[in-house]
Amino acid sequence: MRCSKAHKLISPYIDGELPEREVSELEGHMKVCDKCRAEFEEGNDLHNLFANMAVFKAPYGFHKRLMANISSGKTREISGIPVFVRFAEAFVIIAIIVIGVVSGSFLIQGFIPDKTKEVMASLSLDVFDSAPPDSLGGVYLAMTEERNEE
Amino acid sequence: MRQELDDVQLIERSKKGDVSAFEQLVLKYEDKIYNLCRHMLGNAHDAEDAAQDVFLKAYQNLNKFRPEASLHTWLYRIAVNTCIDYRRKPFFESLFKSSKEGDEFVEELPADSPSPDRLYESKQISNAIQLALGRLSERLRMVILLKEIEGLSYEEIADVLDVSIGTVKSRISRAREELKKLLKKFMEQK
Repeated sequence: MRCSKAHKLISPYIDGELPEREVSELEGHMKVCDKCRAEFEEGNDLHNLFANMAVFKAPYGFHKRLMANISSGKTREISGIPVFVRFAEAFVIIAIIVIGVVSGSFLIQGFIPDKTKEVMASLSLDVFDSAPPDSLGGVYLAMTEERNEE
Repeated sequence: MRQELDDVQLIERSKKGDVSAFEQLVLKYEDKIYNLCRHMLGNAHDAEDAAQDVFLKAYQNLNKFRPEASLHTWLYRIAVNTCIDYRRKPFFESLFKSSKEGDEFVEELPADSPSPDRLYESKQISNAIQLALGRLSERLRMVILLKEIEGLSYEEIADVLDVSIGTVKSRISRAREELKKLLKKFMEQK
């Protein structure tokens, strides 16, 4: 048996879900393969750890509360969550993010130093002339305006 | 076989409106269903609500139960689906609900753990496993809980989850691989 096949059989072997024929094949392989035997031992240790898990009993009065609901015909809303609740939840989260970003951008204005504000103002498009008078474009525009006036 | 026959008889009576017959079924399965919900959801409050919902759904859908099927498998299927719904409950709802561990009404530790040291060790291991289970994907967590906590066979798990036995086999194997990595510290101490 190859290790790859043994690897697939180890978990069902631990659970007692392996057919007899494969049990003897796997056991034979593990006698000669340290790696697969170690893998089995690890898996088996994990399986044994679960024996430490707490076993919970239904709380006191569980069935009385249930039967009272059934007898009174009261069937409280069963766990299904309406779709609109999910959409509302997503909407609220997006709204909070948007409000945060917008208010944050206003707040940050107050923290910008004056010098930075001047630099930002100088970059404004209002002071930007696309065709200065001494440029080729400027001369062309001036000539066009003169011709229009004539 | 006798047990299954009794279940079928109780279901038939319940269908005819005999509430006490349904109560007998509840008494028989309440601990198993609650235990699964408790391990799936991680807190007592949600576990009780979910387990109550499981039996309410079962009561409302008794006519859909096929007599040739196993009742406990049917109840487990309802429980798994209900717990999945509970895990997907709205984020805001979870903010206002207590979910701390250890708020249990009745808790039973393994019978072979008499000394306080052993009890403490069991509790530590139990908590570590619970944390590790919480880090598994839902599919893997469900399959390993049904196997290791509820002791279901591969065939029963396949029936509960409506998947093939091959899928159950590979998911259990993957779940063990991931748990081994997550619980390496505890495994080395053993």
